Parts: sequence; C-alpha cells; structure tokens
Amino acid sequence: MAFINLQNITYKYPLTKTSVLKSINLQINEGEFVAVIGPNGAGKSTLCYALAGFVPHFFKGEISGSIEVAGMESSKSTLDEWVLNVGLAFQNPFNQISGAKYTVFEEIAFGLENNGVPRAEIRPRVEEAMKLTDITNLADRSPYSLSGGQQQRVALTSILVMQPKLLVLDEPTSQMDPIGTREVFGVVRRMAEEGMTVVMVEHKMEWIANFADRVIALKDGQILMEGKPNEVLTSDILAENGFGISRYTSTAREAKRQGFWKKENLPVTLDEAVEGFKL
Amino acid sequence: MHERLSFYVKRNSVIHDLNPLTKVILTLALILIAFSSPWYWTPHLQVLIAIIPLGFVGKVAPEFFKTAIRLILPAAGFLFLMQAFFQPIGQDVIFKFYFLDVTQESLMFAFRSSMRVFVMVSAFTFLLLTTHPSELMSDLTRRGLPGQFAYVIISTLQILPQMQAKAQTIISAQRSRGLDTESSFLKRMGSLSPLIGPLVFGSLAEVEERAIAIEARGFTSKKTKTSLHEIPDTHFDRLMRWTLSILVIISIALNLWLS
Repeated sequence: MAFINLQNITYKYPLTKTSVLKSINLQINEGEFVAVIGPNGAGKSTLCYALAGFVPHFFKGEISGSIEVAGMESSKSTLDEWVLNVGLAFQNPFNQISGAKYTVFEEIAFGLENNGVPRAEIRPRVEEAMKLTDITNLADRSPYSLSGGQQQRVALTSILVMQPKLLVLDEPTSQMDPIGTREVFGVVRRMAEEGMTVVMVEHKMEWIANFADRVIALKDGQILMEGKPNEVLTSDILAENGFGISRYTSTAREAKRQGFWKKENLPVTLDEAVEGFKL
Repeated sequence: MHERLSFYVKRNSVIHDLNPLTKVILTLALILIAFSSPWYWTPHLQVLIAIIPLGFVGKVAPEFFKTAIRLILPAAGFLFLMQAFFQPIGQDVIFKFYFLDVTQESLMFAFRSSMRVFVMVSAFTFLLLTTHPSELMSDLTRRGLPGQFAYVIISTLQILPQMQAKAQTIISAQRSRGLDTESSFLKRMGSLSPLIGPLVFGSLAEVEERAIAIEARGFTSKKTKTSLHEIPDTHFDRLMRWTLSILVIISIALNLWLS
C-alpha cells in the first residue's frame, strides 16, 4: 500500500469552468523524494494543496477521485487531522510568518500551541527543530527582521517542528537569492536523508537531478511524464512541451545534433556535461 | 527593520509579573473611577497616588514620562483650553478674551475633564508599556476569548508596519515613473489615489496565503490550545481584581446616589 495514493483525481476550483487537475493517478512510497516540474498553470500548486489537504477542505470546489495520504482518506478526514501529518511550505516566506508572534522562537512554537502540545514539550521540540535547520541564533529576533532565506527557514522549521510524515514544498526557493536558496535546499536535503517523504515543486533542474528519487512532469493538469530524474529531465518530450530545461541539457542536445556529443544520454548537471564533452 | 513593534518594554518589576487581566482591570478601574467618582479631586489624586507611583513601581517611568510629555499632555492641554473657553457655565468671570468668558466654574470643569482624559490615556499607556500583547491575548484566549479575535488584534499590530513599507515601495515605484508626490496638498491627494488599488488588492491576495500558512499549523484546530509561556495568576492577582471591581462599583453607586 503506497504512502500517497491519488486515484483518478479531477478538481475544479469554485466559480471556475476548467479543471486544474485532470485524472491524476499517483503513488508515492514512504521515504521517497519526488520533484514536480511543469510550466505555469500546470496545476503544480493545486497538486501540493491536494496532498496537504487544502484541496478540497480549504478551497472547496468540485473534486472526484480519492486522495489517500499516510492512511488518511480525504473525504473521511478533516483538515485538522491532515495538517498533523502533512507539512506545507510555499513560495513567499513573508506570508508564511503568522504575524501573531514577536520572536522566532514563539513563531515556531505557534503550531504546537495550536495543537495543544503540553508546555513542557514545546520548548525542547522547538529547540531541536531550530538545531535541525541551523537557526538557533535567530531565536530572539523578530520574524519580520529577517532576510528572505532566513524567513523561509523559519517557515520550514515551523512546519518541521510539528513532525509531519510528509513534507510538501511549493517552490520554496523561487524568491530567494543564491545564498537563501542554498540554505533552504540544505534543510530539505537533510530531511530527505533522514527518511522523510518529500514532494517538492522546483525549477532548478540540476538540483533535482542530484537529489530527487523521481520526477513528475505536469502539464495542463495531467501527468505528462514520470520517472528517474535523468530520464525525464533530458527527454525530448519536455523540450517540445515548453518546460524549463537545464542549459547543459540543451547545449548537449545541440552538440549531439551536430555530432559533438558522443554519449547516449544527455547531461543535466555541469559535472555530467564536463564528463561527456571530455570524450 | 522593525525589531520593536509594540510599546511593550521588557523589565523586571512587580507590575510586569502581574497577570495581564489584572492589569486590564486595573486600567479600566482607574478610568471608571476617574469618570464616575462624585468627588471633584478624584482624578487629580489618582495621578498623584496611582499613575505616577505605578510608573516607578513598574520601572517604566522614563518611557512613561516621554509619552506623557509628547502625547498625553498636549492632548489634555488642548482639551483644557477648549473647555475653559467654550463651557458656558458659571457667573464669576475671571477674564475675557474677545467674546469668550472664562469663569471660575468653567476653569474648574476644564481642569477636571482634562485630568480625567489624562488618567484615561496614561492608564492605557501604562498597560501597553508593561504588558506583552501576545501574553495578554493568550491569557484572554485561555479565559474564553475566541482565538480568531485575538489573532486579528495581534497580527494587525504586527502587519501595519509591513503595510507601511509596502505602501512606500508602491509610491517609490510610481514616482520613478513620474508620479507627482511633492507639490500642493490637493494635487498630492489626487496622485495618491492610484496607489490604493495595488496596496489593497495586493494585501487581500496575501491574506489567503497567510490563512493557508496558519491553517497548516493547526490554527483552527478543535484541540485546547496551550501556551509556550506560563502566564502567572496568583492569589494576589485575584484579590486585586476583586478589590478594584468593588471600588469601581462603590464609585459608580456613589455617583448615582448623589446625583
């Protein structure tokens, strides 16, 4: 039995005419790290909301099919239960700060307070989570005084402190500079290495090639392709369908057309490209 | 950026250690007594024996006097002048200013009104200086105030400065495209109107994201919320709340009985 099981999901937001997700079938195993890619409007964020229980519990709208995550069935459970098992973080770090707390430490404790965790447990859990994401030094700062990368790590920590079984990330680094990106990716990688199931929408192809177990390419609400990162990311189908592609892949593809690229497979990362061009 | 988003000043004092509700009751009691007591000198006496000593006991005297001089005194002073000149009571004209008479009665009346306002504003200032807003809200939530209500108050305090910063960004963006924000007042008001759309609609869009973010952390969970900080509530707190409530009742009763 898969940890995540989407059966034939079709979903329409309220007051809209077209379905954002169309007959999605998806199984993900516990501990897997899955990256989701796709052009704008492909339904990536909606897929994230579906995994995190916000579709349909928060957004309403019309849904058919069944969503199962960590043994919960969407139609039979509430958002309350869902958020205890699934953590969701998204693009804009600023909007993920609750605004109800004056220090980073309190901000991270917010989710535990809401869920009635006894006071004696809150402090050690917050401290442990801050160690994990390396933000212990920010504990007494105001969440609003931080840089984007720091805020995103606070947002991530606020989710991780609740010890979710599944982490859903919707482009967590898209508004971040290189330093912030590296900070956030560092945390995500550590979580994946510790065996947490992660579903992440991301555009940085090289990063996906290095760390994801599987890639799902979404277009117009449907799964266009899925498979091992290198198979999917170098496929001609992506190039033909307007997906963002690693510059090393497109360079090598052109080189292959002109006869300079000798290998069978195309590269995604710089290292693979260097290796291939040496031949 | 804004490290300090509230008036709260962190100090170690007896007042800081009081339960937040006790401080709210203290504030309300000071105000209600100032306004209801039939004895003329009550508000004046309150300033001398309650407001000023509380500032020292709470170790917030410097901050308190700064606020008093900058904000409370001018307001109370203005009120005093208005009342003294425009209150049409009394016969004993002390002096005339064109057609305005200042009588002994109007002067006395003005003195008391402005003192009452002084007590009211300084009691609130004192509450804000010694009570952490999130502690106040978690204490009130624990006593049955809806969590959503507490959230609206706290987050508004925090998000206002962010809105200001955003408005400034929008203004700068428009100025760089030639928007006039520096000529006459009317012209400036006119040129500000196109800025309101982006600010309001942008903020509304953010509200949904923020709702998702706090929902993802169990904001509307049915479970009984807990609190990171232990909020003190001692026998002394309870005693004080009862005493203050009784004083207020006496003051109001005397007022009704004597009038």
